[in-house]
Amino acid sequence: MDNMNPLRESELMMTRRQLFGRAALGLGTAALANALGPNLLANTAGQAQGTHFAPKAKRVIYLFMSGGPSHHDLWDYKPKMREMFGQNLPEHVRDGQRITGMTSGQKTLPVCPSKYTFTKHENNDRGVWVSELLSHTAKVAKELAVIYSTFTEAINHDPAITYIQTGSQVPGRPSLGAWLSYGLGKVNENLPSYVVMHARSKFAEQSLFNRLWGTGFMPSEHQGVLLRSQGDPVLYLKNPAGVTGKDRRAQLDALTAINQEHFKEFADPEILARIKQHEMAYRMQTSVPELMDLSGESDSTFKLYGEEAKNPGSFAACCLNARRLAERGVRNIQIFHRGWDAHGSLPREHESQCKDIDQGCAALIADLRQRGMLDETLVVWGGEFGRTAYCQGKLTKTNYGRDHHPRCFTTWMAGGGIKPGITYGQTDDYSYNITDADGNMIRPTKGKWTPGTMHIHDLNATILHLLGIDHKRLTYRYQGLDFRLTDVHGHVIQDLIA
Amino acid sequence: MGIRGYLYRVNRTQTLIPSAFALALAHSAISAAEKTVDFAREILPLLSNKCFVCHGPDSNKKDPLRLDSFEGATSDLGGYKAIDPTNLAKSEIITRINDADDPMPPEDAQKQLTAEERKLIERWVLQGGGYSKHWAFVPPVKVTPPSPGHPIDAFVQASLAEKGIAFASEADKPTLARRLALMLTGLPPQPELLESYMTDKRANAYERLVEQLLADPRYGEHQARYWLDAVRYGDTHGLHLDNRRGIYPYRDWVVRALNNNLPLDKFIEWQLAGDLLPNPTMEQLVATGYVRMNPTTAEGGVIPAEFQAKNNFDRTETLGTVFLGMTMICARCHSHKYDPISQTEYYRLLAFFNNTAEKPLDGNKYDYAPVIKVPADQSAWERWGALKAKRIDLVNQAEKLKSELYKKWEMGGREERFLALAKPDQRLEKLQKEATDIAKKIADAEANFTTTLVAKELGKPRETKLLERGEYNLPTGKTLQPDVLSAMGSIPKGAPRNRLSLAKWLTDSKHPVVARVLVNRIWQRVFGAGLVRTPEDFGLQGQQPTHPMLLDWLAVEMQSRNWDLKHMLRLMVTSKTFRQSSALRDGTDDPENMLWSRGPRYRLDAEVLRDIALWASNLLDPHMGGEGVKPYQPPNLWKELAHPASNTKQYKQDKGRMVFRRSLYVYWKRTSPHPMMTLFDAPSRESSCVRRSRTNTPLQSLGLLNEVQRVEMARMLAERLLKERTTDNERLNLLFTLLTCREPSKTERNACAKLLKTMRERYSDSEKEALSLLGTGEVPRDQSLNITDHAAWTQMAATALASDLALMLF
Repeated sequence: MDNMNPLRESELMMTRRQLFGRAALGLGTAALANALGPNLLANTAGQAQGTHFAPKAKRVIYLFMSGGPSHHDLWDYKPKMREMFGQNLPEHVRDGQRITGMTSGQKTLPVCPSKYTFTKHENNDRGVWVSELLSHTAKVAKELAVIYSTFTEAINHDPAITYIQTGSQVPGRPSLGAWLSYGLGKVNENLPSYVVMHARSKFAEQSLFNRLWGTGFMPSEHQGVLLRSQGDPVLYLKNPAGVTGKDRRAQLDALTAINQEHFKEFADPEILARIKQHEMAYRMQTSVPELMDLSGESDSTFKLYGEEAKNPGSFAACCLNARRLAERGVRNIQIFHRGWDAHGSLPREHESQCKDIDQGCAALIADLRQRGMLDETLVVWGGEFGRTAYCQGKLTKTNYGRDHHPRCFTTWMAGGGIKPGITYGQTDDYSYNITDADGNMIRPTKGKWTPGTMHIHDLNATILHLLGIDHKRLTYRYQGLDFRLTDVHGHVIQDLIA
Repeated sequence: MGIRGYLYRVNRTQTLIPSAFALALAHSAISAAEKTVDFAREILPLLSNKCFVCHGPDSNKKDPLRLDSFEGATSDLGGYKAIDPTNLAKSEIITRINDADDPMPPEDAQKQLTAEERKLIERWVLQGGGYSKHWAFVPPVKVTPPSPGHPIDAFVQASLAEKGIAFASEADKPTLARRLALMLTGLPPQPELLESYMTDKRANAYERLVEQLLADPRYGEHQARYWLDAVRYGDTHGLHLDNRRGIYPYRDWVVRALNNNLPLDKFIEWQLAGDLLPNPTMEQLVATGYVRMNPTTAEGGVIPAEFQAKNNFDRTETLGTVFLGMTMICARCHSHKYDPISQTEYYRLLAFFNNTAEKPLDGNKYDYAPVIKVPADQSAWERWGALKAKRIDLVNQAEKLKSELYKKWEMGGREERFLALAKPDQRLEKLQKEATDIAKKIADAEANFTTTLVAKELGKPRETKLLERGEYNLPTGKTLQPDVLSAMGSIPKGAPRNRLSLAKWLTDSKHPVVARVLVNRIWQRVFGAGLVRTPEDFGLQGQQPTHPMLLDWLAVEMQSRNWDLKHMLRLMVTSKTFRQSSALRDGTDDPENMLWSRGPRYRLDAEVLRDIALWASNLLDPHMGGEGVKPYQPPNLWKELAHPASNTKQYKQDKGRMVFRRSLYVYWKRTSPHPMMTLFDAPSRESSCVRRSRTNTPLQSLGLLNEVQRVEMARMLAERLLKERTTDNERLNLLFTLLTCREPSKTERNACAKLLKTMRERYSDSEKEALSLLGTGEVPRDQSLNITDHAAWTQMAATALASDLALMLF
């Protein structure tokens, strides 16, 4: 004991005491593990110990297509609609679905088949039809679980995107990413555990909100950290002009001395924690630029992702960053790509949108596969809702628009415990309604799961499940309620899980 | 420690139960088994948390047993009773909680009873199974403090004594001055004020300091911030386009009301129903901005009826959080699982708000009607007030003069009357001239008025019905009249069913929770945590107060002292409890300060961190009120998120002094608030927040040391130190005095001297880099200063501003 640094000893004692204090208040063990550092959480194999059950995936990369991609033109092949071109959508198909104010005034709801060619690609099941707009993605069809029967209740962007990302249509709840950060903690001490990127789009016509990666009523440490393609990659990362890393080191040494003096007087473990955070910030100033430096990437990488990946802020570059983040142990990566809200000129817009994302998506899957990381990385692709079978505005053979459609839309998942190369769920001939296996229209609700369907709560429950978390047990108490990401709903879709 | 102490995960905490129980149980294990069980404190929260999901206010009809009342618990379930008063030991509840084969709660239930809890329930049943109301629903009564002296200390002392703990020693004078000034005004004490306090040898020196700070207009600005978090004040509509909204006069009104110490009952009444008061003043109308504070949308294609419902949900639930300390959201879709709020009652309460005149969609308009026109900042309000007073004064003078002249006319003969006509009274002319002048000034002032959103009642009320599952398109049952929650009193017979009656219900002295909820949040401001640690929840699932009697005493004190906020703050800050040293105490088992065995210590809020640095560097612009200001912000943060049609897509940084306004005035875009605010836990103001988290992250370190404004403030602070003091030692003394009210210790002095030396060496070799550092921000540097010195001191100041000395209240 004599050799022990008295300050260090006091640190240990105080920290322990503080922890006991917390434990008595009912702190979860994972949160305790967080307080003690990442090593309790992850054993040498890197497998989370604090989870509810053995996770299938260690991390998730969520490719979010904001605005509502058209399932008609990308995934859900409905050749019969061609025969119905321009005819009014049968009333029994619409079946009381409420229509947004943008098309509710239209005299007719003309059926609008996709103008794009679909090709059937081999997967591990009966094959999957993919639009010509996604020719790259089609090449990794054997890795994807394509879900035709995702559904939501919201019909407008703000509520719908808030709903799918936070489990509630109104602001105020923690985001999916925040829940994961809260539930899983972090692995890499030198990088944030939850990283968000915004990919460039020519038609960035949808709003995003901080709340989509925010924490609502949870502590703000769980919020997503923006990784930006312009200016500082992480806000305030760079030293001011005229300040070098060496200068900062000298500052931090003085800062630590002042703070330790403060600790001597007040014995508050938070002071020690802050000293640690300053040091971590200092390390981030090295680790983030190293992360962003693509000079070590091989030619074959750029061949895979495309030359566009050299262009910071492009979707392909974000995908490459996502892989690099995944390699460094970041658990939770989200890319937002805007511009899918094609009310008027869908072909022009979606062609551009697909060009933005197609190669990047495929490359990410292939790259993770070739590096042996796909099995432990869950990749999710989708938007907040789908688009209507009928045309908004003037319908021609070459141009059309589609309004928002909540009843069914296509999402895909891959890697990280997902059955590769399958399709899930069916829709009717207009991809307007979900049907059962026999083709009968069904009307699933969030309240009770119907086989073959996936409400957005089910999607979130399944994501959490794959990461080892029981969505019903990951709760956060606020205002006397044990809140969950999935509200009182959500069903883990075992049919998707390998 | 803040909120982190309360993370609560059911799955992992089946044996780790909330604190009040843990304490209660620890006691019960030691003391005699026969100790009387306190139903409200020990049993009710337990039943609520673990049984009410099925056997509570919202239990389904299939399950006949209700455990939320004595009648329910003792009702005949077909030959047996959950609690059988005639044969307590045979009560079904005892059997079932101990039944291995068919247990309650069922095996698959999320929340299980612990062995201790089972014993506790058993003991309670055997003692008669008596029920009483949840403490928060019983109106507080004035209790006598357990000993003479300062009432707060008397209550705290009593519980400390139980544990054999004495008060901590008083914090030293400078620390106390700093704590007090930061707590009341959000800024450290001015050096002159500190000096006069330090040299004031009178016995009431501290109390005098309190009064000086309470009278400082900075007081209102700082205290307003807590309220603005609670009511979710923002400068934008909050949804979709998130366009600009003109409502900042409300924020300025809150500051004025607090500075003028408007009694809190009036403060509430004006906000909820200022428009319904007889002949409402402009201020009373501005206050109704509260009713208009909910986020709104005008997204293309949205259905108005849907947002009429959503806007009302938001207002009803915010009312619950802000005034009732109660979560209302459950009752939107079904009766509350835990608290006695039925779904019908929820919609009756909502009905008060369903009658306001604004359209459900905001049209993306700045002046989303109804609006009124009002002065645009505090000085304009003052001038306006003076003009109005002058106008009244002139009319009074004129009336007096006219009656004098009239009398003269009446009394006079034809000669006098002729003279009066030929030579009009000079004084009247003077008044007329003055009136013309004032009229012009009033017209000028009015021309500079801005708009602010206000509440207005519809002539013909909207119909309110219960919405099944909270779905706007599923109204069911009969039309509901507005009404208050029956668990908390009622509206007097014959009173109108409008927001004014709603407000009067809230401020009625018999209301069980409002005063407690408010006083708890005042306590939280002063002590860093509430007496009830869940200020947002006083319901059955909330935490018990650490000192129930003290909470009640304070609530009644506030009500009986005319809802006087300054009085309550004065009471709290003059207590020994507040004045204790905040150091963690060796051998005192109170890590979470539940016993209040030490003074407050916490990381200061985002706004305060920025304001301290603005103030220390002499940059702070004292201008009060007006449209939100836009200081430095990294480029394109808004553009990356915003809809192309949004009028908050471009962040146009302000120029000149506006960049240095107090943080209260920083523009609040709800979908993307200023990053230095969110980095330090400021809420988005999309929903109500009555307790901020206090996190500790590496990104905060980056912000503190690298953000443009922080660097600019550091170099201006350095400039001040270099100009006001001549030696390094004196400069360090001033730096530390500004930030901590004391001079540096030897260790601190050495560490600083070392940094200064390193930096001087480094910048003397590279003037160019020194100049780049000194070129950060827009205020030009003082070119007469030595460049190396200035750069080195800038680094020193930046370091001190990022240290806990400038981050913590202690």
